[in-house]
Amino acid sequence: MSGTRPVVYTDAVAPLRERTREALADDELHGNLATAGASWAAGRARMGREHPFAQMRERGRAIRRDNIRHLPELLARLEERVTAAGGTVVRVSDGEAACRYITDLAAARGARTVAKSKSMATEEIKLNEALEEAGLRAVETDLGEWILQLAGQHPSHIIAPAVHLNREQIRELFAAESGEEVPDDREALVAHARRRLREVFAAADIGVSGVNLAVAETGTLCVVENEGNARLVTALPRIHVAVMGMERVVEDWDQAAHLLQLLPMAAIGDDAATYVNLITGPRAPDEADGPEELHLVLLDGGRAALRGTDLEEALDCIRCGACLYSCPMWRSVGGQAYGSPYSGPIGAVITPLLEGMRGERSSELPFLSSLCGSCHDACPVGIPLHDLLVRVRGRVATPTHRRDRRLFALWSRAWSSPALYGASRVGARIGLRLFGRRGWIGRLPGPAGRWTEQRDLPSRWPPRE
Amino acid sequence: MRTCLADVAAPSVWKAARTVLQRAGVEVVVPRGQTCCGQPGWSSGHPEEARRVARRALRAFAGDDPVVVPSGSCAAMVCHGYPELFAGTPDEDAAAAMAERTVELTQFIAREGLRTGAELSGTVTYHDSCHMLRILRERESPREVLGAVAGLELIEMEQTDVCCGFGGTFSVNFPEVSGRLGEEKARAASVTGAHELVACDLSCLLHIAGRARRTGVPLRARHIAEVLAG
Amino acid sequence: MSAERLVAALERRRATAQIVPAADAAGAAAERVAGWGSGRVLLADDPVLDGLGLPAALAAAGPQMLRWPEGRDLGWRDLLGLDGAAATCGVTVPALAVAERGTLVLAAGPGHGRAIDVVSMHHLAVLPASRIRETLAEALTEAYAAPGRAPSAISLVSGPSRTSDIEKISTLGAHGALAMHVIVVEDR
Repeated sequence: MSGTRPVVYTDAVAPLRERTREALADDELHGNLATAGASWAAGRARMGREHPFAQMRERGRAIRRDNIRHLPELLARLEERVTAAGGTVVRVSDGEAACRYITDLAAARGARTVAKSKSMATEEIKLNEALEEAGLRAVETDLGEWILQLAGQHPSHIIAPAVHLNREQIRELFAAESGEEVPDDREALVAHARRRLREVFAAADIGVSGVNLAVAETGTLCVVENEGNARLVTALPRIHVAVMGMERVVEDWDQAAHLLQLLPMAAIGDDAATYVNLITGPRAPDEADGPEELHLVLLDGGRAALRGTDLEEALDCIRCGACLYSCPMWRSVGGQAYGSPYSGPIGAVITPLLEGMRGERSSELPFLSSLCGSCHDACPVGIPLHDLLVRVRGRVATPTHRRDRRLFALWSRAWSSPALYGASRVGARIGLRLFGRRGWIGRLPGPAGRWTEQRDLPSRWPPRE
Repeated sequence: MRTCLADVAAPSVWKAARTVLQRAGVEVVVPRGQTCCGQPGWSSGHPEEARRVARRALRAFAGDDPVVVPSGSCAAMVCHGYPELFAGTPDEDAAAAMAERTVELTQFIAREGLRTGAELSGTVTYHDSCHMLRILRERESPREVLGAVAGLELIEMEQTDVCCGFGGTFSVNFPEVSGRLGEEKARAASVTGAHELVACDLSCLLHIAGRARRTGVPLRARHIAEVLAG
Repeated sequence: MSAERLVAALERRRATAQIVPAADAAGAAAERVAGWGSGRVLLADDPVLDGLGLPAALAAAGPQMLRWPEGRDLGWRDLLGLDGAAATCGVTVPALAVAERGTLVLAAGPGHGRAIDVVSMHHLAVLPASRIRETLAEALTEAYAAPGRAPSAISLVSGPSRTSDIEKISTLGAHGALAMHVIVVEDR
């Protein structure tokens, strides 16, 4: 049965509210997030000035709606074309099956080292843990992901995973990994990482990548990046395994070209990503480089179940990360507080859904939102994330939410009756007068006290100075 | 529509809205049977409970007249939320009809070209509440209406379009994050040096003003209806 | 016009570029390689390069010359600059280019290794001007228009390699080329 495996990280044990409190107390994190958010906003504003972003967004939405409506046909065509090009396609129902396929493959090929380029899907299925359990060495080659791997941390953003760390923290990690003296200027740090990770590219038996988009028409996998590590991961090792969420398919090159333009505009505020690697099958027989085998792992993991529901639009997502940067909640607490590879507004929607609404921890996520709607505005394919958050909230089935519902049932009975509403209104006004001291209430009794934990309540309006 | 928040915490707000409209020559009816638009239940993920309350609104405001609301949040609930809330139910048509007729106060004033005759010698800063800005897409109407107030000078604050952090039950589910955002908003408003903060949403104002007081940020606040009635 | 637009776009993408008549291409290439101080050059096996006299001009400038696919025999450790010279230059001939974006379209094939530009420290692209297209959609549709199996790897390259993972400041030379230079050869 799909969607049964938790997507949240195993160390996300504490309730979400507690994790947000910890994050809020971290001043360094706050500074880093503010810088990241401002930088993204500036890039985004520039894109809006230089391009007809609103129209591009509309077209992007139309494309993705169309893709999801025709998903079964597109996947069938994709599979046919990839196979015709010499690749192997395997459809897996969940993360466990995906990991099993890959570890079995590694065992059958006598592989020892796996080089990975950035892939949210592989985070979702916890592939690195499975590879390590199978005795393989798995190394992240995207600079930010490698830094986090060294630090033993989870990514805090879809596009810029180590955005919460600074130069000195990174220098220390590099020095510990290599046993070398590492200078702390940016260029030297990058050069150091380049050298260390080249060892991995040369040694890897298997390269594992994600897939940003797959083009059904020609069976081509698009892998988008800025560093060049994905090219090396998909070109040098003799086996390439591409892990792809089943919803990431488009019909043809016209659609692909449009989304390949929208993606960097929304993600990094730039016209283009440095490298877009377009892969169709393994190497041709007369080529001297390129993998001998290509395996495309198509992951369901709870996605198919969303089609045809009022949450289907969550599948339109092209994983640009814009909604994260635009979200005042994400900018306040960072991605790690969410405890899921998918953070921010999209993460708050899909994490519980992919878990089949069974997770206690993931079910808290949709409530970490003021429903401000900035995510919807930021989304390059126009996903109404703020509406989806409300719909997911309606599906939460935890004991906490059921208790909440009983309270709201009382509320609805009282406030659907003008008489009871009037009585409660009078009661509230009396209460305000009783508890007010010089026009303000510093602490409300009982459950209402949650309001006054953070704010005073004016007992008169306009508020008294 | 009075709004439940004004009923409970600030009746002067809906009364000011009534005054503003009457002075502009509009005949105002305040239906007695109204309660709440139902939003607290809807946004918290309890649609069935929200529907029960919202049905009362459908009945209280039945008819052909425009429904004017001194709240971007409640107006957005009716205009944007009711069609989805009642889709596939017997009240679907009534909900769509009410959504068509419902409008926020400054939207109505701007749309109808009403003259408020208001005067204020002083400075205000204006907070764009999320529902006004992003759901109703109303950046200009409140500013236009404020601009017509004789003697009033509007000083824009930094990041006026960032959420104040209220978010309904979010304010009590994640009080610390809510408080942080409220404080940032209070400081941004205070630092403009404007005499007072004004907004179309009482919910935002209660949160921002309350947080300002708790953190010692000097800030006066009023609802836009009260400024327009002055 | 489109050549000038491409050059401007490439420069925005932090690459360098120049437009030269065919007779000057070989000299321009030798100058660039000397400027980079490349100890070794890895050339794609492409008739365009031979036609311009590039291999001879580069050899005369001094670096060790390798040609694809023979160069592959050195092994990846060497080609990556781990065991051999690190100051390497990869020379490619793009199949197409996109003027509005500053993007080169590299198509893999028997004579054109898919990793030539990223294993090297510097990337030199020699582009006949007639291969420039306006938009990405145009270029991609053309690249995939041929019937039968599509090229196994087409790489869109829009400048040198970079990362912003350290303090959100863009730094060049992450894993791919540290610098990229495009010689646009007038051939119309």
